[in-house]
Amino acid sequence: MNFLTNRTNQIKAVTMKHTLKRAFLTFGLASLLVTGALAQNATFVMPARDVGAPNYDPIRGTRLNAATTLIYDRMVIQDADQSFHGQLAVSWQAAPDGMSWVFKLRPNVKFHDGEPFNARTIAWWVPKFKGTENSFMTDAIDKVEIVDDLTVKFVMKNPDPNMLFNMASSFMGVPSPKAYDAAGDKYGVTSAVGTGPFKLVSFVVGQQTVLARNDAYNSGSALSENKGPARIRNLTIREIAEDSTAFLELKTGGVDMLLSVPTDFLPRLKAEKGTRVVTLPGRELFYMPINTSVEPFTDIRVREATALAINQKEILANLFAGVGAEANNFLISSLLESRVDPKFNISYNAARARKLLDDAGWVAAADGSRSKAGTKLQVKLWTQNGTEFKRITEVVQAQLKAVGIGADITVFDAATITAQYRKRTEHQLAVRSYTWANADILDWFFSGKRLGHPNHSMWNDPRAEVLNEKAMKGSRTWDERVANFKAYHEYVLSQFVFAPIYQPVQNFAFSEAKLSVPARVRGTAMQSQTVLDISVK
Amino acid sequence: MISFVIKRLLLLLPVFLVVSMVIFMIVHLVPGDPIDNIVQVGSTPEQKAALVASYGLDKPLLTQYAIWFGKMLQGDLGEAIILRQPVSSLIAQNLPHSLALGTLALLFSTVIGIGTGTLAAIYKDSMIDRTVMTLILLGSTVPSFWLGLLMILLFAVQLGWFPVSGARSWSAIVLPVLTIGIGGLALVARVTRVAMIDVSRKDFVTMLHAKGVPSRQIQISHVLRHALLPVITILSLRIGWILGGAVTIEYVFARPGLGSLLITSLNQRDYPVVQGCLLMLSIAVMLGTLLGDILQAAMDPRIREGMN
Repeated sequence: MNFLTNRTNQIKAVTMKHTLKRAFLTFGLASLLVTGALAQNATFVMPARDVGAPNYDPIRGTRLNAATTLIYDRMVIQDADQSFHGQLAVSWQAAPDGMSWVFKLRPNVKFHDGEPFNARTIAWWVPKFKGTENSFMTDAIDKVEIVDDLTVKFVMKNPDPNMLFNMASSFMGVPSPKAYDAAGDKYGVTSAVGTGPFKLVSFVVGQQTVLARNDAYNSGSALSENKGPARIRNLTIREIAEDSTAFLELKTGGVDMLLSVPTDFLPRLKAEKGTRVVTLPGRELFYMPINTSVEPFTDIRVREATALAINQKEILANLFAGVGAEANNFLISSLLESRVDPKFNISYNAARARKLLDDAGWVAAADGSRSKAGTKLQVKLWTQNGTEFKRITEVVQAQLKAVGIGADITVFDAATITAQYRKRTEHQLAVRSYTWANADILDWFFSGKRLGHPNHSMWNDPRAEVLNEKAMKGSRTWDERVANFKAYHEYVLSQFVFAPIYQPVQNFAFSEAKLSVPARVRGTAMQSQTVLDISVK
Repeated sequence: MISFVIKRLLLLLPVFLVVSMVIFMIVHLVPGDPIDNIVQVGSTPEQKAALVASYGLDKPLLTQYAIWFGKMLQGDLGEAIILRQPVSSLIAQNLPHSLALGTLALLFSTVIGIGTGTLAAIYKDSMIDRTVMTLILLGSTVPSFWLGLLMILLFAVQLGWFPVSGARSWSAIVLPVLTIGIGGLALVARVTRVAMIDVSRKDFVTMLHAKGVPSRQIQISHVLRHALLPVITILSLRIGWILGGAVTIEYVFARPGLGSLLITSLNQRDYPVVQGCLLMLSIAVMLGTLLGDILQAAMDPRIREGMN
């Protein structure tokens, strides 16, 4: 009996041991899984200027945010060296006369709702832009022909060597036709269906976007080492308008990456242990449009004097600690069209500015102010809300005063200032910026068809219109386009319709303890091509 | 009491009408409009006019107001032009956060303010009185924006007790509540202190002392009760201040709420949303004032009799 009892007890002990072992193993595995799952989650913070973007509708939306390229793939994407790489398109060919483009599409691509991506999608998509704010992207396309299931041909109204740049825009993300038509006006708010590496889970305007990995994704471009699916499983993108709060969230580990960092914060971020800052070439340019239709700026000498009064070097050194670059013309320096004849570049020259004002009859008084026929040289200087704008504007005011131009600053919010510009004659000078990496920005801001806004210089010059038309529609090839835009750009510069100020760079910062980011970041901005390669440690 | 409440509610109706009209007019008179944000640049005046008409913005202002008011009475606050959602859903998403923040901040201001004011009154002119009032004054003079960032630096960054921002957990509301609450408690504390000192000089209090009632009991059970009347008035007026202050705090702490929604929609001139948010805030202030009146009437029969 003792033997039996002992044996039974031994069996029970062994059984218990095995049961416990299994339990521990199961628990351990479960913990690993949970930890693994948690480890694949990341939280980013959107750039402050993207906060409040109202929807994810790339066709009708006028304002999109940084998460858009994670939801929608585009036909092509652009690298920092201006080269283009296929994403939804694997190859393309433009006819020698520029009157057609043939795109071969990537096979086996599905939208997040399971619908197939093919030539019919593109045939549906291009006409959708008509009548929208973004129609200029596709205006040159007369019609889309379906060659076969994975080949489309764009028949053009006129050559458009800029086609690839437009196709690479965030606004050219391709949505699912089924989802788009079904949601109607609500598309982009309650749903947003693309082919991108992430699916939209939820979106609360002004608060956050929650994305989940598209496990079927395999359309990574040549700019990504990982072709898909993404390494991050769940990605939350928070909207934090206050830069200090965003910085403190990164510092405390509340978030893992800031998609944009103000220049002010760079020294502090660089000093933070465990935080890395990455810099990309900038796509933004600060400038001061000069209203050529109102006095005293109808006189080109006064305009030139105003432009030459701006000390770009001083602004770069004192406001931005040397981070970024001076702007000496209207285009960001990475563009070929910005490399104009140096004699056209606009740089600080206070002595010449004063001489020009003297020649224009603006007599300097003992206190440095100027007047002409009893009228003081005192102008309006507008700017919009925002720390950078206000600081630059204050320095510009001081620099104008140094040559004898008095300026009264008025600060507006973005919506009000646009309404004021549309009045056309209320403004004289303004400090503004744009973010765009293409020379057609010259057309946007200086075409006579857009007086008031966005042509804040109110410039309507017949020769400029001819040069613009030739650059925008008369170029058959990319090289021709560059040459034509250079010519247009040089003419714009020669008329002193604006003063260039500053070119910021793009900075983003992340926690090295949490994320692994490729050493070399490709593309023109922190977008899907890089996020695909980011993993959570 | 019921007739008092009904009379006060009826008085709110003309106030509501005037407030709704003022809100509507102000929003439409501010420069800029939502159509500028959605119309294609370079559109012809006719194209823009068609878009304006499609949103009913071409009608006379009074007609637009009447349409909006009529729909509002049916619970329809319209459709956001830029945000493309029903205004009522946007408000429903954000209002609970503002209410939670506002209510907790008011509660904090009330409890701490009355407590510290009572303490200061009981120990009048002592070191305790001076210290308490000085600390409160310091807390209330610091701008809320800066106070919020200080709170984050100390309690979230240095001590790690609370999250820096957002609304993802219950603990995320603590620092915003403290920030708004500290700003509001100074006035409550000072009014409580002054009222208690004033009531302490009344004859009935002297009589209570003469009868041998313990001093603490007199202060807490009798003086404080009477001193609360002006405090309630102040608190009901503070509701508007707290809701207004919440806008800045929602910005600093990246919290959802009516304030954040108001700023977002204001920047884009999304009229229906701006109108809806301002209306909700106004209703909150009106109801808060009504509640204050009801509480005062409940505590002071003279007010009820005067009303009747």
